[in-house]
Amino acid sequence: MTDAAPTPGGYAAITGEIVDIALDYPDRRAWWACFGLALLLLLSFFVSVTVLFWYGVGVWGNNIPVAWGLAISNYIWFLGIGHAGTLISAMLLLLEQHWRNSLNRFAEAMTLFAVVCAGLYPLVHLGRPWLFYWIAPYPNTMTVWPQFKSPLTWDFFAVLTYLTVSILFWYIGIVPDVASARDRARKRRTQVFFGLAALGWRGSAHHWARWRQAYRLTAAIAVPLVVSVHSEVSLLFAAGPIPGWTSTVFPPYFVLGAAFSGFAVVSMIAIVLRHALGLQNLVTPRHLDLLAKLLLATGLMTAYGYWAEVFDTLYAGEHQEMGTLLDRLGGVYAWSYWGAVVANFVPLQLLWFRRVRVQPLLLFLISLSVTVGMWFERYMLLVTTLYRDYLVSSWREYHPSFWDWSLFAGMLGVFLTLFLLFVRFLPIISSFEVKEALFEEKGKKEQAHG
Amino acid sequence: MDMDREARTPPHIDRRSLLRAMAASLALASAAGRRARADERALPYVNAPEFVVPGKPKWYATAVGFSGCAQPVLGKTYVGRPVKLEGNADHPLTGGATDVFMQAALLGLYDPARSQAPQLLGQAATWAAFDAAVAGRRLTLEARQGEGLRLLTGAVSSPTLLRQISDLLRRWPKARWHVSEPLSDANRQQAAQTVFGRRLDQLLRLDEANVVVSLDDDFLGAGPRQAPYAHRWSKRRLAWQQGQGASQLHVAESSLTTTGSMADHRLTVSPSRIGLLVAAIAQELGVGPAPAAPLAPTERTWTKQVMEALRASHGSSVVTVGAAHAPDVHAVALLINERLGAHGNTLTFIDPITSVPAPDDENSVAALAGDMNAGRVSTLVMLEVNPAYATPAGLAFRQALEKVEFTLHAGLYVDETARLSHWHVPLQHDLESWTDACSVDGTVCLTQPLIRPFYDVRSLHAVLDRWAGDTRSDHDLVRATWRHAWGSDFDDRWRDSLVRGFVADSAPTPVLPTIANRNVSIKAPTAGALMIDIRPDPTIWDGRFANNAWLQETPKPISKVTWGNVVVVSPRLAAERRISRGDELRLEANGRSITGAAWIAPGQDDKTLTVTLGYGADRTGPLPHGLGYDAFALCNDAGSWVLDGARLGTTGKHLVVASTQLHQEMDGFDFVRRVDRADRPVKKHPEAASFYPERKWDSPSWGMSVDLDLCIGCNACMVACMAENNVPVVGKELVEQGRQMHWLRVDHYFEGDANEPSSSFQPVPCMHCEQAPCEMGCPVNATVHSHDGLNLQVYNRCVGTRTCASYCPYKVRRFNWFENTGDDPEQLRAMRNPDVTVRSRGVMEKCTYCVQRISAARIASQIAGHPIRDGDVVTACQQACPTQAIVFGDVTDRASAVSRRKASPRDYSLLEEANTRPRTTYLARVRADRRPS
Amino acid sequence: MAEPAPGAGLFGMLAEFDRPERLIEAVEKARQAGFRRLDAHTPFPIEGLAERLGFADQRVPLFTLLGGIVGAAVGYGMQVYTNHAFPIDIGNRPLVAPPAFMLITFELTVLFAVLFAIGSMLALNRLPRLHHPLFDLDEFHLASSNKFFLLVLGNDPLFEEERTRAFLETLTPTRISPVEHTEVPE
Repeated sequence: MTDAAPTPGGYAAITGEIVDIALDYPDRRAWWACFGLALLLLLSFFVSVTVLFWYGVGVWGNNIPVAWGLAISNYIWFLGIGHAGTLISAMLLLLEQHWRNSLNRFAEAMTLFAVVCAGLYPLVHLGRPWLFYWIAPYPNTMTVWPQFKSPLTWDFFAVLTYLTVSILFWYIGIVPDVASARDRARKRRTQVFFGLAALGWRGSAHHWARWRQAYRLTAAIAVPLVVSVHSEVSLLFAAGPIPGWTSTVFPPYFVLGAAFSGFAVVSMIAIVLRHALGLQNLVTPRHLDLLAKLLLATGLMTAYGYWAEVFDTLYAGEHQEMGTLLDRLGGVYAWSYWGAVVANFVPLQLLWFRRVRVQPLLLFLISLSVTVGMWFERYMLLVTTLYRDYLVSSWREYHPSFWDWSLFAGMLGVFLTLFLLFVRFLPIISSFEVKEALFEEKGKKEQAHG
Repeated sequence: MDMDREARTPPHIDRRSLLRAMAASLALASAAGRRARADERALPYVNAPEFVVPGKPKWYATAVGFSGCAQPVLGKTYVGRPVKLEGNADHPLTGGATDVFMQAALLGLYDPARSQAPQLLGQAATWAAFDAAVAGRRLTLEARQGEGLRLLTGAVSSPTLLRQISDLLRRWPKARWHVSEPLSDANRQQAAQTVFGRRLDQLLRLDEANVVVSLDDDFLGAGPRQAPYAHRWSKRRLAWQQGQGASQLHVAESSLTTTGSMADHRLTVSPSRIGLLVAAIAQELGVGPAPAAPLAPTERTWTKQVMEALRASHGSSVVTVGAAHAPDVHAVALLINERLGAHGNTLTFIDPITSVPAPDDENSVAALAGDMNAGRVSTLVMLEVNPAYATPAGLAFRQALEKVEFTLHAGLYVDETARLSHWHVPLQHDLESWTDACSVDGTVCLTQPLIRPFYDVRSLHAVLDRWAGDTRSDHDLVRATWRHAWGSDFDDRWRDSLVRGFVADSAPTPVLPTIANRNVSIKAPTAGALMIDIRPDPTIWDGRFANNAWLQETPKPISKVTWGNVVVVSPRLAAERRISRGDELRLEANGRSITGAAWIAPGQDDKTLTVTLGYGADRTGPLPHGLGYDAFALCNDAGSWVLDGARLGTTGKHLVVASTQLHQEMDGFDFVRRVDRADRPVKKHPEAASFYPERKWDSPSWGMSVDLDLCIGCNACMVACMAENNVPVVGKELVEQGRQMHWLRVDHYFEGDANEPSSSFQPVPCMHCEQAPCEMGCPVNATVHSHDGLNLQVYNRCVGTRTCASYCPYKVRRFNWFENTGDDPEQLRAMRNPDVTVRSRGVMEKCTYCVQRISAARIASQIAGHPIRDGDVVTACQQACPTQAIVFGDVTDRASAVSRRKASPRDYSLLEEANTRPRTTYLARVRADRRPS
Repeated sequence: MAEPAPGAGLFGMLAEFDRPERLIEAVEKARQAGFRRLDAHTPFPIEGLAERLGFADQRVPLFTLLGGIVGAAVGYGMQVYTNHAFPIDIGNRPLVAPPAFMLITFELTVLFAVLFAIGSMLALNRLPRLHHPLFDLDEFHLASSNKFFLLVLGNDPLFEEERTRAFLETLTPTRISPVEHTEVPE
């Protein structure tokens, strides 16, 4: 069977179906509605950041002991989501899973924009954000270098690398489709835009050969990169000597959680685009089914992480760690712990049934619940640890302020704006790879017939 | 007045309650412009060069006044700007001990909210106009021998002021002098009057007392005697730790105090029962009849143990009763002490250092109010008092003021009284005046100015001198007093006294009075309904320090509440009435009522509500508004601080209480550890192995040891730290949000039974961990380790990731959430310690072990060409501590004081399990040792 | 692959096919006929097509490896150098703490490897190149959609306009068109 349903009219039709979305967007009214909303949120971003920079971090709810707050937990959340794209396209590319072709393009785009949001958070959360570049190693008048033993410096390099690699991987992947957009473009403006973006790609066999070498190599390197990046993010916590953070479970626990939340978001986007742009025969029930299976698998692994964490604490029975555990289960922020457990793993169980997996609406809702659940988890891991650490004398609750929330809304705005622009102006599915897959399937069939 | 409007604006996003409001005042900014000038007639403490060396501090010995008594201090000045006050180690009484009020006096000097010009009916006026008015007034008075003239002052021990007053009264026999000192020793003096036939001051020789029995007397708590008493008590405690004698403290009190926290044996009891306990002890010793009512079982066991202790230590024990209790209770206590052989040994008597004007004695204010209402007062001169606020509501002093045809208020602030007076004139702060006063042991302290007045203000002496028809300066007046007293050798003694800060051997020799009257007995307690126990506030006293932001932001020792006062209720009562922390309570007694926030604390008597003075939502003047309640509003007449038959209700409202420590139960942890005897080793956790090789530290390498067995939680170290290190004040809103900036905090913990808890204090500065997690976390090398073992914070390198704070197991790091210093008024900038960087917004800060003092010592020793000696570096907190609980020094030097402390078996480090290898370690508290040797 | 210098003669001869299979046959025939300077243009990568055209270039993987090595060296070297350039005691850790340095070393290895891989790919493909003789042909825009082209370059030793066209005819393409040099020399 073919992954993309056989398209009447072959290659040309596929090209048209995908590329024409970018050239002549079908349902503009709906797009503008969404974009309007996105711009509103974006406005909230700019207002929040202005207030933040004007008055200082004090406008947030942070305090001592909870010196980090929503900013950092959201950073981890966004970055986690940002892991699915690369995972899907890189890993499945290497495994020659052709069904990936219908998903990888927008999954990668999603990754990019999520990482952008994630990257912005630690930046604005600084006490003196205008000096953020001091974390970068460069010869300076103070002749001081960054402190390379700090998890924050590790993160700085990890996120930067991840962002660069994701952009490049996504861009060289989209060039051939941009070329076909260039060739189909009728308006001068779009011709120039795509003409420049296509770098003069003309599908030469020699070019394809080298392109393939580079593309596959990048994919091969990207997979361990993804793992390393979120492991490092987890060290941001695990490297601190604070009960509830110092745990060797964290790196794998975080990576799985990241993939988990990422796949959830990919599924949501896939379902929405599929309906909004009528891509039913490119994003087929089989794709939903496979996504759901991935979601279920990573979800169960994450659940194991939860269990392992609790078990470790009970097994060690260390007074402080126990305190933190009990507090998570029953303290002021128990809602975040149980919220995470329930939202992450309860609806997830429905995915054992194929009927649910291929039912777009249900899958969407489950994915949504997972996305929220993972947000709870990040919040729980950060706040429950800090607001009650070693000395009872410094215990104090943390409540995000209005400006915490408005910035969060703003960040979602940044993400939506970027993503909507991508949907509107670029080929959101890798048309040439769909065609390639089609060709190779045909080849196989003919061999089969004799 | 625009300051009020400012102060009343609703809390703003980056609003710091007090200082910002002050900054807004135009008058201040302009007044502050003037250059600081030293008074060249003042003599430096150590022989400094005649000329001023910028950057090189000069020290002056002087004193600051507190309720009539002198608190000896050394003032550190840079080019004529006082920047820090420290205890005067040479002073026979305090030996360098300080308290919060002494430390915070510096801010009192620079307070931008101080009154800066005379006012007539609230309108700015000139001194010339004032002088004219006084001259006019004098004509009529002269004619009627001063009839109708009343002088109202606080307690006075200043020989010069007393001389001026008596001169005035001699000149105008019909004039009268009244004293308004809400919290005085009047009851004790009355008791002396009854028993000895003469008024006497009592002084506890706690350094001599193996056994101290305190009946509701918080002698280690805030007050004029705190520093000397804490100092003396710690001497005994230290000796006992070395195995000499005993140091037992038995306390019966209604609400947990610092004294109660140090008690080996504490009893929670209603104030109404104190008399009974005293009577019971008296009976046991055969100096009094049986108590008027039977004792409760707990009271009996407590008394039994007290008696054992007392009998076992004749001549080295003392019984002391709280000043708030009735004279007859004190009288019986005097008899007990006589029988204990305390008189002259552990309890000494001197003639009162503050004189109370006859004939009304402690009813002075009541009498004055009476005369005012009766229209017998035509001219009222109020010097450095605030009777419109700090007098019992029963006297209705405000209304009485309206009946006086000429009222003058002279003070540092435009306070309640100033607003209700015809004239207000601004006075000089002690640190810019020439005056004299006695410390509580009677030693005369000469007060010389650290700086010329930078506002258009006058000395108290000068103002009074105008009424004598003269215009002498404070300097001349004080010199006149002593020239007369010393005669020929005036010049030498004057110079000598100025250099020392006190007149050598001027303390009166203690008297050993004979008992004239043994026929004293204690009235039966009124039936134990709900009681209200009114106490001075531990940080703003009777409200006179309400304007001092340092003191406002200093947490109350037990509750850790800042910027307001609370109503303390016991856990059981709270459970009964379904009261939770912060609920607004309505208290009613003798027909008056107040509403305040509830605070639930262990060790509180179930039938007693403890309230403190000094606050009040409707207080006027330049102080932060809307804070707490006014306990004076409950009082009928002066001196009665325990109100019976109180009624308690809730208004249903919930109030914001800004406490720096919300959780005070130790929850089974061992942050504060205890040992049974001073020589027993404390329980330690095995130190975890380190992944990295041990580092060899070369000398000097700094460390600190804090003896929890000596710490009385008085907060002197905290305020000293704020002054030394330019620590900003953030205000109530931010404290409530957990954003206070104190580099050194004093944690307070309860353990055990809610009714009879064991309570302890733990000062927590930066631990300067050898394996500091904060350093590991910082991505920009803003917090790093120094060669001499300090954990440094590099402000200009900090970008504010706050990782260090997140990683710090002790949470000692403080973050500048807003711009805390940029908009300080000029006065506060002038007050800053030039050796310490002022931190800007978005930067992390924390205790540096007073690194500026370390480098000063290093420079000095290099110039002198010898290594830094032990004791060359004294941190601000160490210097301020009245009990020598804090010791600092080189830990690599076996012989250093700190090394000797750390060698003690009681030495342990906080949170060993975090494996941070702290340089600040603690000495465990020693449990009660009931066998006095 | 070197392109014919502008000036004399054509840039090349382009044959259009409508199915990839036909193109592959054509390529093989052209090779048998002795043509060496050939190129094919397809909407998507076709497995083995380049090899049939005589492509055997492994430089991209080599550059990638090189990048990885450079990255690792730079990463670790930077951390060791900076810690010695300004030695600071951090939490009593040794100046050079390999466990702590590994992560950044890995990140830079990855970064450089990818930069080299993609950089070398573009460089060896002579991209970006916004103008090319082929773009002058109207039908060529289908190369990115559904048409498959064989290009015989003008600098092939066997190239001679008429004979090459005749040869291409035998492959029964859907269309044959000569490719002129562009007027504007780059």
